[in-house]
Amino acid sequence: MLATLLSATLVALEGRVIRVEVDVAPGLPGFTIVGLGDASIREARERVRGALRNSGFVHPPRRITVNLAPADVPKSGSAADLAIAVGILIGSDQFTARPGRAALIGEVSLGGEVRHVPGLLPMVAALARRGVRRVIVPAEGLHEAQLVDGLEVVPAARLTDAVDVLRSRRRAAPVVPDRVDLAPATSLAGGRPGPVLAPPLPPPDLAEVRGQAEARRALEVALAGGHGLLMIGPPGTGKTMLARTIPTLLPPLSDEDALAATIIASVSGDAPIRDLVRTPPFRTPHHTSSYAAIVGGGPRLLPGEVTRADNGVLFLDELTEFSRDVLEALRQPLEDGRVSIVRASGAVTLPARFQLVAATNPCPCGHAGEEGRCTCAVGAPERYVGRISGPLRDRIDVWVTLVRVPGAAMVQAIEPESSATVGARIAAARARQLGRPGRRLNARVSGRVLRAISLLRPDAARHLAELADAERLSGRGTERLLRVARTVADLAGSDAVEDEHLDEAARWRPSASRPLLALPV
Amino acid sequence: MPGVGIGQQRPSQADREALAVLLSVDGVGPLTLGRLVDRLGSPAAILEAAAGTGGAIAILDGSRATDGEWRTMPRAVAAAIVVAAGNRTRLLDDVRSSGLRIVARGDAEYPSRLLQIDIPPPALFVRGSLESLTRQHVVAIVGTRRPSTAGRRTSSRIATALARADATVVSGLAVGIDGAAHAACVTEKVPTVAFIGGGHARLFPKAHDRLADAIVEGGGAVVSEYAPSVEPTKGTFPQRNRLISGSADAVVVVEAGARSGALVTASWALEQGRECFLLPGSIDWPTSAGCNGFLRDWHGLARIVSGIPQLLDDLGLAASAGLPDAAERGVPIRSTVALPSAKAVLAGRDAAQVAVAEALVHGAVTADEIVAVTRLSIGAVLGALTRLEAAGLARPVHGRYEPLGPLAAADPAAA
Repeated sequence: MLATLLSATLVALEGRVIRVEVDVAPGLPGFTIVGLGDASIREARERVRGALRNSGFVHPPRRITVNLAPADVPKSGSAADLAIAVGILIGSDQFTARPGRAALIGEVSLGGEVRHVPGLLPMVAALARRGVRRVIVPAEGLHEAQLVDGLEVVPAARLTDAVDVLRSRRRAAPVVPDRVDLAPATSLAGGRPGPVLAPPLPPPDLAEVRGQAEARRALEVALAGGHGLLMIGPPGTGKTMLARTIPTLLPPLSDEDALAATIIASVSGDAPIRDLVRTPPFRTPHHTSSYAAIVGGGPRLLPGEVTRADNGVLFLDELTEFSRDVLEALRQPLEDGRVSIVRASGAVTLPARFQLVAATNPCPCGHAGEEGRCTCAVGAPERYVGRISGPLRDRIDVWVTLVRVPGAAMVQAIEPESSATVGARIAAARARQLGRPGRRLNARVSGRVLRAISLLRPDAARHLAELADAERLSGRGTERLLRVARTVADLAGSDAVEDEHLDEAARWRPSASRPLLALPV
Repeated sequence: MPGVGIGQQRPSQADREALAVLLSVDGVGPLTLGRLVDRLGSPAAILEAAAGTGGAIAILDGSRATDGEWRTMPRAVAAAIVVAAGNRTRLLDDVRSSGLRIVARGDAEYPSRLLQIDIPPPALFVRGSLESLTRQHVVAIVGTRRPSTAGRRTSSRIATALARADATVVSGLAVGIDGAAHAACVTEKVPTVAFIGGGHARLFPKAHDRLADAIVEGGGAVVSEYAPSVEPTKGTFPQRNRLISGSADAVVVVEAGARSGALVTASWALEQGRECFLLPGSIDWPTSAGCNGFLRDWHGLARIVSGIPQLLDDLGLAASAGLPDAAERGVPIRSTVALPSAKAVLAGRDAAQVAVAEALVHGAVTADEIVAVTRLSIGAVLGALTRLEAAGLARPVHGRYEPLGPLAAADPAAA
């Protein structure tokens, strides 16, 4: 007998509705799944077989054929397990039900539990768009699925729960479809499935960073305008520490951005989602990360770090140690805010509007600029930072060099500004930017809009030209200077970009391009 | 004495060109060339012999040592001379197109001090004018390529003081102490001479190409004893060092690590009978280890620099009036050279820039320190630094800031 149920699969960040057709026919016992499934789908046979037996049902010794339609969409993952299992039960007459417009999403275990799957949110959203009224989801993903409006979400902790719901023997406690809950930001804390390792350290407060006035300011400017930031400095000067304070400095995401962030978090499957993700993501991939880990891809088209950092910050520590391919691959996302992954089967484009924050040592030994400690050849520091290719360098607006803070300054009584103080300034500056024509952060407004919103008076324009001349800046370099100056002015609450803002912004330009010996002009 | 044959009389233009061609051959140096000239008459004659039939044999024969030993140059070098003789036009075009002049021994322009050293170069490839080397006082300033911030400033200040006392500063165009000395002279708008350790077309370090241009434009010269295409190597720099010390009356080593090439220059100076001054430093400071060691090893010959006025005094130049408590200590002050004061340099700049510049002159090096000293906001400090940098008065070095140009030469005591 034939049973047809609805389920969903994930293609990159989007859910796709699939029809699960199960035919249980007389014949030689066998279990075949067709419909462009990958290895994880083929393994569903074993999971489903175990789940049925261990939930008190019978795995029918008949010829079982499962077709996943449409046949041309490659399917992957274990989200269709539950639908396949229920389909076999209906097909072998172990219970009768009319699933109608209900859909099932979930992985089954050999013991018959229903497990969470990554990407539940976009899958449920896809079902809702197709007019599905009711969806059975893993109990663990209830809150995540309920973020979607317009359909009834029923949790199932075990295969038998799902069967009960479909038999309608037990009316599940009426689950009222929630409105999308726009509660204040909550952190993504919570145990991930499986063994829990040491919980991540809470981000340090900016007040814990002593000295480094210049780098603190650079960080503030970069975060306020969404500018790329590169911190160069010897080991132990606080580059990583400063970067780790970033989550305490960024304002929560807007509604629209939070939805995008939540979908990505759902697909990434790092942790169950209870609410819209309001905290801007802060991703810190290691420098040994592979190309696919950074850009995304793999057979299942998983989002990479650039996508996971969408609307947040991608922090690359030891930038020069990343493989060249990885660094070059950052160019497209930095340019258009998205990344295209092309496969023989077609291309997908994922969002990647991240802000790049990077850190590197100044030279191979790490001690350039520290008297008597650097053992590198003369010129080695310039070559080391020169490994960052021109196009990537062009995309980093704010450069700052850190120096070792002497011990005395570390124990000074003066309390540096806290994250709350600086974060408030950043939030105010961002609000100014988003309230202006263009409605974007300064790092992403177009050149034309930038000129319009800079409100340069004639003498400030002249000063900009002078600075550009003195630095031999290209057109792009000049625009970058103006972009950063616009942010400095926003931090100061100034409508127009003035000379002093340009002067400060000029400090943040690439340091490696400067001549070794500046001559008096 | 080998090579005496060259330069006994004024060389002809043909001889100069022949020298340029011969010196472009790898393996031909002052000694080989000297022997050839002794046997064959003149550089032009060597080229003629090379161009004739059996050229290589004639050259080999001509290179036989005159002291009776049967020693000749390697055959390969003789063959290379024959090839070079064939390429003569192209080689000379190279020299001319690089804007170089060939100054041969015997030319009036040839630095007279160099004639007194053991192996004077047969010819010099010169960009600019050597006139400044005819002044009464010529002083070499050398030191490590990796100086401390303080060492770099000291180099600037000594060069400025020497320039103001009408002495010509020579050095080696290297980064670090050398570069700071040359740059101070450029700032003072007085000629300075740089001897480089390779051919002009292979200028090392590349980062100093603008400095080299500025030296030439300022009436000084960039000089090499090597043909334009000769690569600088480990061996060429110590050889070049003998020209730095040889063209000066005295050598001042500002900072030198234990194995610094600046010590080679100091040794040459003693060998050539030049005065040799070294700045002592802390025994814990790696950049002073070489100076301290040299002072110990050559006790009695090498001299200590205890201050800039004292140095000028020891050199027989006018002493500085900027010696604060000289009178109390009974140091004779003869006069009039004053280093620029920070105030004068900063005239016309706004209060923030003056405050930041003074902090730099007084030893603040990081933005943190400048903020602490000036009590300005970090934004204002950074803005002021940009203005100072644009004016050539400060620059960032690996996150630290240091005074530059006239500000580097400013006397902290007078500020």
